[in-house]
Amino acid sequence: NRVLFTASVAIRLALVAYGDYQDRTMAVKYTDIDYHVFTDAARFITKGESPYNRSTYRYTPLIAWLLTPNIYLNPMFGKLLFIICDVLSGLLMYRILCLRGLGSQAACRMCSLWLLNPLPIGVSSRGNAESILAALVLGTLLCMEGRRLVWAAMLYGLSVHMKIYPITYALPICLTLRTPDTGAGEEKERQTWRRLLGFIRSFLNQELLLFAGVAAGVFCGLTSFFYHMYGWEFLHETYLYHLTRRDIRHNFSPYFYMLYLTADSSWSLGLGLAAFLPQLILLLLVSWAFHLDLALCCFLHTAIFVSFNKVCTSQYFLWYLCLLPLVIPRLSLSPKQGMGLLALWFAGQGVWLGPAYFLEFEGYNTFLLIWLAGLLFLVINCFILIQIIAHYKPEQTAQRLKSD
Amino acid sequence: MYFLLFFTLACLSTCYCRTENDEKAESMCGLLRQSLTSTSVSVEIDKKGFHRDVVTTVEFSPDGPSDLQALVVHKWPRGIYVDPYQLASLSEHTDWQVLLDSAIDLEVPAHKTVGLVAFVFPALHGRIPRLLKVTVPVHGRYHEPSFDGKKFTSIDLDPPELLLRTGKCTQLSYLDPHTIVDAPCTADNSSICQWARIQHKQGQASFQLPVGDGLLVIPVCSATLLVTLVCCVALAKTVWKHQLFTH
Repeated sequence: NRVLFTASVAIRLALVAYGDYQDRTMAVKYTDIDYHVFTDAARFITKGESPYNRSTYRYTPLIAWLLTPNIYLNPMFGKLLFIICDVLSGLLMYRILCLRGLGSQAACRMCSLWLLNPLPIGVSSRGNAESILAALVLGTLLCMEGRRLVWAAMLYGLSVHMKIYPITYALPICLTLRTPDTGAGEEKERQTWRRLLGFIRSFLNQELLLFAGVAAGVFCGLTSFFYHMYGWEFLHETYLYHLTRRDIRHNFSPYFYMLYLTADSSWSLGLGLAAFLPQLILLLLVSWAFHLDLALCCFLHTAIFVSFNKVCTSQYFLWYLCLLPLVIPRLSLSPKQGMGLLALWFAGQGVWLGPAYFLEFEGYNTFLLIWLAGLLFLVINCFILIQIIAHYKPEQTAQRLKSD
Repeated sequence: MYFLLFFTLACLSTCYCRTENDEKAESMCGLLRQSLTSTSVSVEIDKKGFHRDVVTTVEFSPDGPSDLQALVVHKWPRGIYVDPYQLASLSEHTDWQVLLDSAIDLEVPAHKTVGLVAFVFPALHGRIPRLLKVTVPVHGRYHEPSFDGKKFTSIDLDPPELLLRTGKCTQLSYLDPHTIVDAPCTADNSSICQWARIQHKQGQASFQLPVGDGLLVIPVCSATLLVTLVCCVALAKTVWKHQLFTH
């Protein structure tokens, strides 16, 4: 247990040190461009200006505020913060798994899927802020499992403020907190409007209202505070840009080529809406079907949201990867099947990355290949999700000690 | 009489000094004019794909004034852009600086923006090299899809203007027939100076960027929507079949 956490901290620290060495000596930089964006924005804040003076800073001012010690103390501070959040996410995962009935050893093995996974290690040590979100989402889930609603609501409000995607968790959380059906009599069930009324009324209970109130309070409080400080630019860069984002440059999304070709035509709005519908329908369905198991529900939510989104980059994968270790213990897949699905997922990315490299760095016109690879990646993602859902066995964690 | 003699001597000496200054100025500007005639600039493009290097080569004449300053003015079309942050981090390792005429939007497609003017100030350090190479990294923007079956669009870079000046030549009329233009004195754009432009320009450089095929709009949209619909239905069926019931 302690060995695992110490090792994961050590690996990350070593990579941060190596990254610093590579930045200073080689032409190809280790640190991600985003980290420089955060640092530049933090520098503006130390001068008393708006962080949005830094072009392409499209995050909450909170991140720039958190990283001001980059300017005052040491430029590495931000990376250390992200590493700490990364390891903290591992710890939260461990606590959630224990609360769901998994033994200590098995829980450690699950956490090692995150703590020793090169993807989150690389992302945090390169200076991306995704680990903060992972820690907040896992913290929310832990508090929900432990029924500490005020803390859950505060963490939830904060996570929605930082990135919009956790808003999708609102529906399953509401469904979890509403008054469960007490098995009404036959008569009431015949009248649809009464059933509907009963359904709506089940949402108005103390717990749910408390959660909604605190979460909305935190979110609105932070939003109005920053709006007061930085004005309209804050709202646009942090939220509106991401909601209306039409990045036509190549990315993993299956819709990329369609949106590029129709960017200036009259169909663009209609197509955008058509692309939004599968996401919406699936999210509603998943919320209803799996709200009893919040970890699975959130995992499926985010995986579907990312796979069917109009823009998809590899950073988004971390959003649902941090929830995967919570789901794996209850899967009845054999290790071989699991590795097969993982290999398929990586193969899907590889098939996309090939033509994308040739387009961007060699100048070949591989748009059709990239588009087809994007469609293939969507099919692969759906296949993997279908396998996960079909092999999920709820409440049988005692028998599932996956050694993946 | 002595007064008359003294007056004549004074006049003669002033005339002599002025002629000497004139001669000095003429010689300085003469050196500059010689530079202007025998210095040449050319540009070529390195690398492939969307990230290219524009290599500007300046061949100086060996007998220029010692405090010569050079300025290369690139007028680039809207199909490419430079990343000011990349340039800022590059300037720590190189001795040239770039001044851009406007703020750059890094993500907008080509048809929604305008070209840019880049002033490149190479540092000559008082010694004129025979050959000077400045490499500026540029990036291609996404262009509108083509509706005539062409898979590539061409980006044509006009040859840059090379401007020269020296602090010692102030009588720019000596530099006829070379044109005098106003441009920033240094990369921090704090003042405007007068520069002389060389007339000799070597050919255009161009490269190709891939563009999407607009003729495939209908098959691409239909296939995309079909595949996403099939995936959505398959996933929905599985979700509904395996939903968790209250226990």
